[in-house]
Amino acid sequence: MEYLYGIIIIVGLYVILATSFNLIIGYGGLVSIAHPVFFALGAYTSAILSRDFGVPVLLAMLAGMLVALVASIALALPSLRVSGDYLMIASIGFQLGLLEVIKNFRFTGGPGGLTNIPPFLIRDFGRESYVLLVLAVMLGVIALVWWISRGDYGRAMSAMRDDELAFSSIGRDAMWMKIAIFALGSGIAGFAGALYAHYFRYIAPEQFEILQSAAILTMVVVGGMRTTWGPVVGALLLQALPQAITFLNLPPSVLGPIQGLLFTGLVLVFMFVRPQGLVPAKDIWRAVPRAKAEETR
Amino acid sequence: MAGVLEVKNLSKSFDGIVVARNVDLTLQSGRVVGLIGPNGAGKTSLFNLICGVVKPDDGMVLLEGKSLDGQPFHQRVRDGLSRTWQHTRLFPSLPVIDNLLVGTHDYPGERLINVLFGPARLRAHDTIARDKAQGLLGKMGLGSVANDLVSDLPYGQQKLVGVARALMGDAKCLLLDEPMAGVEGQAYAAMQRVVREVAESGVAVCVVEHNIAFVRDLCDEGVFMFSGAILARGSLAELIRDPQLTELYFGH
Repeated sequence: MEYLYGIIIIVGLYVILATSFNLIIGYGGLVSIAHPVFFALGAYTSAILSRDFGVPVLLAMLAGMLVALVASIALALPSLRVSGDYLMIASIGFQLGLLEVIKNFRFTGGPGGLTNIPPFLIRDFGRESYVLLVLAVMLGVIALVWWISRGDYGRAMSAMRDDELAFSSIGRDAMWMKIAIFALGSGIAGFAGALYAHYFRYIAPEQFEILQSAAILTMVVVGGMRTTWGPVVGALLLQALPQAITFLNLPPSVLGPIQGLLFTGLVLVFMFVRPQGLVPAKDIWRAVPRAKAEETR
Repeated sequence: MAGVLEVKNLSKSFDGIVVARNVDLTLQSGRVVGLIGPNGAGKTSLFNLICGVVKPDDGMVLLEGKSLDGQPFHQRVRDGLSRTWQHTRLFPSLPVIDNLLVGTHDYPGERLINVLFGPARLRAHDTIARDKAQGLLGKMGLGSVANDLVSDLPYGQQKLVGVARALMGDAKCLLLDEPMAGVEGQAYAAMQRVVREVAESGVAVCVVEHNIAFVRDLCDEGVFMFSGAILARGSLAELIRDPQLTELYFGH
């Protein structure tokens, strides 16, 4: 059972990562490579605060989210002031650079990582409770992104993606909207990182490498950008695939690169054959039923 | 009398090509100024300079006496400046009404904090904005297509949607960039009526337009631009009669 719980939690966390990344790249139109490093920031912050400073785990988790959120604003603010494209370049630097920093500090455990991270819930309520926590957060994040994308904010995000200059010409501030979208998505990734750290209780830099970025991007592209269920489908599928090839009994040294090839290959195939992904987004944004109800009233 | 919008000594050149040369322009409340001149005279560039899309080399723009220097485009719009585009620049992924709803002066839905913690405020705003948008669309004769896609509308109607969108935000000064290009028939009449009504409500209007009949019927004053500079201003009848300007305009 423990093995199954581990898989459910991993899949749940990837659904959270893919859904929050869909907010950034799909709805916000922001290209970022740094999603895994915000995941790492949440994990490390929460692990260090609770392990070395005795902060209660729940508080440490929230602090992990906050640190990821603040770091993402610090990254986005200068890059988005210039132009959208610079965010991608800055995010590559941030992803690679921060991971190097983590590898070279003693308080982060260096390349060997952190062990003995305090557990959460499991001792008192069993592993099932943690599975439920992750699933609840996952559903909450899916609902949150759905809610944001369908209401007044979704309308503004659609308009901003359509034509940024026209968006400014009606008095809307594209820069702060992008920063807010990026911060929320990255903050969610940070919280997912904290959830990861306190279940598996061991984190190391290699778990947050740039390959993860490719994996999360693949989930969103294959599943379907700008849809509620696309990233969910993508995360499930992309997690199932590597599990499926483990039964081929390939040596671990081959497995990693094969996964990488698989992700890249899938993105390429989908870009050509089905660019809209498995769950296609509608071309047209429509308001939530609330508005329709008022019209027919 | 001080104008709603005052452009003072505005100059701009790109690599030696002058698009604005010491331009002075005042737009008064309730009056329509027609900005005319041949292609490349710098009319649209002047709009871009006023809006802050392009930064001037020299000179300043004042809205109700306050300098707009250094302010980004969207902030100028929130202060009361509004413009339309020659090629509409509507939001194709949004239905007609939503193109308008996103353009209200204050749009609480653009801040995540309101989305998460102020749903009642958003609802209240939505009701008011919908009434205003329906009213504007009704005036333009577009009430029946409110839920259609903008790309499904004939071009003339798209232009009207562009003007309606620009009017959602309580503008004090409205800049119209070739509102009549590609507009015919009913849409033409609607555009004329709406621009006049807007001016009568106290908005300062400036129209860049090649349709001289439209300009003559609508504008209180004409301003003739050539090669980045204002060469003449006066009544439209005077400008049209001036043989020198006619020659510059048609390039004979």
